[in-house]
Amino acid sequence: MAIVEGAAGRTDPVSRYRDFARLGGGGRSDSLGFRLILQLLLRCLPLLGPVKWPLIGLLVAGTLLVAAIAVPGINIVNVFWNGVLEGHALSDFQARMIFLPPGEFAAVGSLGGPERRIVLRHLVWGVTGLTFLVAPLFIALAYLRIWILQRVNQQLRMRMIEQLQSLSLRFHAEQRVGDSIYRMFQDSSMVTQLIQVLLLSPLENVSRLLFSIGIVVLWDPRLALMLLIAWPPLLFVGHRLARPMRAGFRRAREANSALTSRIQETLAGLKVIKAYGAEESERRRFETASLSAFDAAYEARNRFVGYKVIVFWCVGLTLILGIGWATGLTADDASLFGKRFFIAMGFASLNAGTWNLGFYNNFKDRFGDATTASNTLMDLWGTLQDVATGLDRTFEMLDLEPEVENAPGAVPMPPLSRDIAYVDVTFGYLQDRPILEGVDLRVGAGSMLAIVGPTGSGKSTLMSLLLRLYDPVRGRIEIDGRDIREFTLDSLRGSIAIALQENILFGTTVRENIRYAVPDASDEEVRAAARVACADEFIEALPAGYDTLLGERGTKLSSGQRQRLSIARAVIKNAPILVLDEPTASLDAATEHRVLENLRRWGAGRVIFLITHRLSTIRRAGAIAVIRAGRVVETGSHEVLMAREDGEYRRLVEAEIGQADRALRATVVP
Amino acid sequence: MRERLQENERLEGAQAVRLIARALRYVRPFRGGFGIKLALLIGSFVPMLLLPWPTKVLIDQVIGGIPFGEQPTPFPFFVQPFIDAAADLPRTELLFWTIAVQSILLVAIGAFGISSRERNDASDRGIPQGWDTATRTENEANAGFSLVGGLLGLIDYRFTMRLSQKLNHHYRSQLFARIQSLPMTSLDDERIGDAVYRVMYDTTSITQTCYRLILTPIAAPLYILLTVWVMGLVYGWQSPILYMGLGFLFVALVPTLPFAGLQRRYSARSRRAGSTTTSSLEESLSNVLAVQSLNGEERERARFGSDSEDSFRQYRLKLFVEILTFLAAAVFGTGLVIGVLFHIGDAIIAGHQSPGDFAVLMSFFVSIAAASTDLGSLWIRLQNEATGLNRVFFLMDATSEDDSSGSASLPPVRERLEMQEVGFAYEDGEPTLHDVSFEARVGQVLALVGPAGAGKTTLASLVPRFVVPRSGRVLLDGHDVAHVSLQSLRAQVAFVFQETVLFDATIEENIRLGNPLASDVEVRRAARIAGADEFIEALPDGYRTELGRAGGKLSVGQKQRLSIARALVRDAPILILDEPTSALDPDTERRLVAALREASRTRIVIVIAHRLSTIREADQILFLEQGAITERGNHASLMALPDGRYRRHVEMQTRGAD
Repeated sequence: MAIVEGAAGRTDPVSRYRDFARLGGGGRSDSLGFRLILQLLLRCLPLLGPVKWPLIGLLVAGTLLVAAIAVPGINIVNVFWNGVLEGHALSDFQARMIFLPPGEFAAVGSLGGPERRIVLRHLVWGVTGLTFLVAPLFIALAYLRIWILQRVNQQLRMRMIEQLQSLSLRFHAEQRVGDSIYRMFQDSSMVTQLIQVLLLSPLENVSRLLFSIGIVVLWDPRLALMLLIAWPPLLFVGHRLARPMRAGFRRAREANSALTSRIQETLAGLKVIKAYGAEESERRRFETASLSAFDAAYEARNRFVGYKVIVFWCVGLTLILGIGWATGLTADDASLFGKRFFIAMGFASLNAGTWNLGFYNNFKDRFGDATTASNTLMDLWGTLQDVATGLDRTFEMLDLEPEVENAPGAVPMPPLSRDIAYVDVTFGYLQDRPILEGVDLRVGAGSMLAIVGPTGSGKSTLMSLLLRLYDPVRGRIEIDGRDIREFTLDSLRGSIAIALQENILFGTTVRENIRYAVPDASDEEVRAAARVACADEFIEALPAGYDTLLGERGTKLSSGQRQRLSIARAVIKNAPILVLDEPTASLDAATEHRVLENLRRWGAGRVIFLITHRLSTIRRAGAIAVIRAGRVVETGSHEVLMAREDGEYRRLVEAEIGQADRALRATVVP
Repeated sequence: MRERLQENERLEGAQAVRLIARALRYVRPFRGGFGIKLALLIGSFVPMLLLPWPTKVLIDQVIGGIPFGEQPTPFPFFVQPFIDAAADLPRTELLFWTIAVQSILLVAIGAFGISSRERNDASDRGIPQGWDTATRTENEANAGFSLVGGLLGLIDYRFTMRLSQKLNHHYRSQLFARIQSLPMTSLDDERIGDAVYRVMYDTTSITQTCYRLILTPIAAPLYILLTVWVMGLVYGWQSPILYMGLGFLFVALVPTLPFAGLQRRYSARSRRAGSTTTSSLEESLSNVLAVQSLNGEERERARFGSDSEDSFRQYRLKLFVEILTFLAAAVFGTGLVIGVLFHIGDAIIAGHQSPGDFAVLMSFFVSIAAASTDLGSLWIRLQNEATGLNRVFFLMDATSEDDSSGSASLPPVRERLEMQEVGFAYEDGEPTLHDVSFEARVGQVLALVGPAGAGKTTLASLVPRFVVPRSGRVLLDGHDVAHVSLQSLRAQVAFVFQETVLFDATIEENIRLGNPLASDVEVRRAARIAGADEFIEALPDGYRTELGRAGGKLSVGQKQRLSIARALVRDAPILILDEPTSALDPDTERRLVAALREASRTRIVIVIAHRLSTIREADQILFLEQGAITERGNHASLMALPDGRYRRHVEMQTRGAD
């Protein structure tokens, strides 16, 4: 994905930032040199691929259009000042351009009042006609440009969401949702600016600058030199202020993304905030975040605007001095440097070739154009600092290497035929704090393994490893004797259906939620899966049945109902491996029995993992593995484990049913 | 539920006017700031009136060599002193001094020669850049602008930016507080992204509206008057230039009127598409566990992709409508420009005016035209803001939790909780509870038992008034909870939800959310009772461990224990636990139940549970089925009913044990 591969900072697995990342950090390494700008551009080039032809079309059409109106443009100003206002004769070309006979308007000494009025009318109508001719073209080009830039932005967004999805849960456990949102929308939008700031605008302005300088040379080379003299101070200012601007922009982006996170998190936890009356303190936290975002933006923009003012002073001074000089030259009727050229090109009549009001105003336009172009280029440099920090934050994310990736040469997973085995599996988020340690387990096809153990002992993590949401630090998981890392992620996860402990439903219909993992499942299949999960009944009772819209996390359903939906979602996948992570904890006993009975019938020939605390659920499993503090301490069937005098399982069971039985016996009337 | 929080999309002109008028009322706290901004704005007119004259001198006197006395038109009186001082200067010196004056103007107001009226507005950087509404308004929140540049511009800009920010901060905070006070049932999780969008990107509409409506109607006419006055002084009062400049008022207003509705429509669509995109991104990120383990990446990506695409398309269309609007005005504007060119050209040909006057007149014409356009296009420019306002005010107006703030505060609950014939139904009319009556006393554990969907959670939610009963009353020590202040009511309730909610803060802070004043010892004790102490101590930073987003690193059981600890530390007379033990292992559960027993001596404990070991301990069990209490009593008495529903429920659960 990355064009430029960085070499530095590869130690930390989560934050392998490329070397030009951290722009705006303000340190010594924070410098936006030419090489880095080039790198930024190079990295964005692939995004331009799909819009290559429209972009080239835009550039070519734009250049042609500008070039096409440049020559008439110069002549229009010249005719207006010289011909209309001063009464000088026009050149042949000028006369023809506004549809006037050259005999009466060009080959004469000077123009009288009536002729001047005629010239004025022809000129104005000609300009109007030209405007109406090219205006639609300019509008079309503007629309095309918007379209192209949006396409580029859309592509970057897609690349980012792809990246976000492929990053492991370990990343997401740390990453704030609001920050991702901000990077996705605000930071990535800078890519369009980059094209503007690094490609389109410089191209346009540099050519305008060079074109103008070239033209000004024809008037007077000394004036052209003035334009060049303005640049050293400009470059100095640009160099000195770039780093403070960058630091400001970075802080502004960070503060704004923190604010976005603040809002998102508060709203996501609103229920608890309300229940505990913490609205006031949350509001204060919001206000602090909001204020610091504004402060940071203020600081950044202040620096930027200050920079712009200084640049404008430099440029403006050049302009004033240049025009002043030209005024003097015009007053003295000085000779034009490119006299012969002007006469040859038909810009001036034979006897002229000296500075006059027409040439003076032409000069003003060109010289003004050159200074404007310089000014714009410097502004672009300032904007670039913001763009670069924004993109930097985008690439920061894109450059994180997914911890879990398809191995080179990964193959699709063949259908499960024999067994699943955990071989000496060790895993932990932190090196020295393993959550699982040396786990060995084996489950044959067609059987059900119950995993029990105290809260936090690593049961769910065991399943996350099977799905490759993480990879083990040591050891391996084998399916039919092959390491699961040999399989492609898609095929592996496609072979596993899971009903999660946290019953996450999406903000769509019941039907869509059930067939989330199998979008093309038929309505009948949806219904069948719902029946297995004993969800059919309550779904039918909902106002719109299977088409009832749910809030994102199933706000209106009770947790037992949500659990059944997530079981249906797992069942419909029809996968060889089924993982039930405490799927029935919120079901009442009667429903649970029915669900498990259904699942047992449905589960023939598959491997079912069952994580649960409930005794009745555990007993249905063919084999039981007891986990404690990340280690498998016992395995065997219910009977075998219960036979162990001081077995862990027996102790757990007694803790639960022992009491329940006693309670039952003590209270049931015989 | 989705329909309930959906504002009216089609905005009529009259509604837009009402919205805008309402936005103006919000400016009150910032009267002073706006006054200063207005003063700065008007102050910047003065140097702008000086701008064209040096150029005229350069053209007429330095180049044209016309002596000051023989000018066909006079200079205005405020320029005359300079002219008098320069009257006898030779050309070169005149040139030098003119350049000097221009340089001073450059430093002071960043302009010279023809006033450019180029806005020093950093917010407009992105218009044609292929963004969407969100990225655009992100800039608007910090908008600063000034008519002039240079030192004056810098001061003006900084002041304006600060003012913008203060306003935006104010409205953001207000909206945020409003969203927080919405009833719990109305803000679905799926609306989180949408709410983020509204707070971050729609609130700027208020600021923009205030700026436009307050500054433009005062500043633009004033500027026109000033310019007209100077023109009158110099060129006589009947100059058609003047009327042609004012003509832009109509050019900007009349041809654009038909586009107003169109602009509103597209602007609204663009904002909606943007907030949908934010929502779909938020949803897929918040549920990344489900997405990854259910193999839903492809699907989420496609959804986000098409939402984002739509957001771009809608913004593009919105821009296109803007371009069309602009074009309509431009066609008529061109006519005016043509007239002006003819007029000035003819006057100069006839010798009434000098070529230098062309520069001056053109500059005046451009200024008047720009100010008129500002004024005339006020309405069309406000359309975009109107749609933002609609989205902001919609949330501000959404029924918040009904807290008649005058109502009495609830005295500490010492005796009992009572429900009298309580009925409840969700918006769609499906009754969830009917005719529920019971009483629970301090010192009791009340268990709510029943099949999934029986209404247990809803019943418990009535106590802290998360939902309001449709009929009947909920009484605490005889006080109807509907008539006491929410704050005092909720201060006495600790609620543990089915889904655990943790915040991106330390463990300690998460527990302390229940009671900000709790001491370290109390926090620890609560954690110990909830069975969380052990695993917390095992973490590298103990109680100060940063949880990261939503406690992503903890297991579900661990998270559940933290939220129980949070409720326990609250020390409230009413403790409600909604399936607190479902993800707990038997050991922890046993300890928790004992702790609840202990806690209930001074409290009312309501627990919703399936596990026998939890409910067995209750003093009173309410067995709910389909929203009604079908059996009540303690475990022993209910088990004694030979064909009891509760008994069957329990037997079903323990059958495996025998």
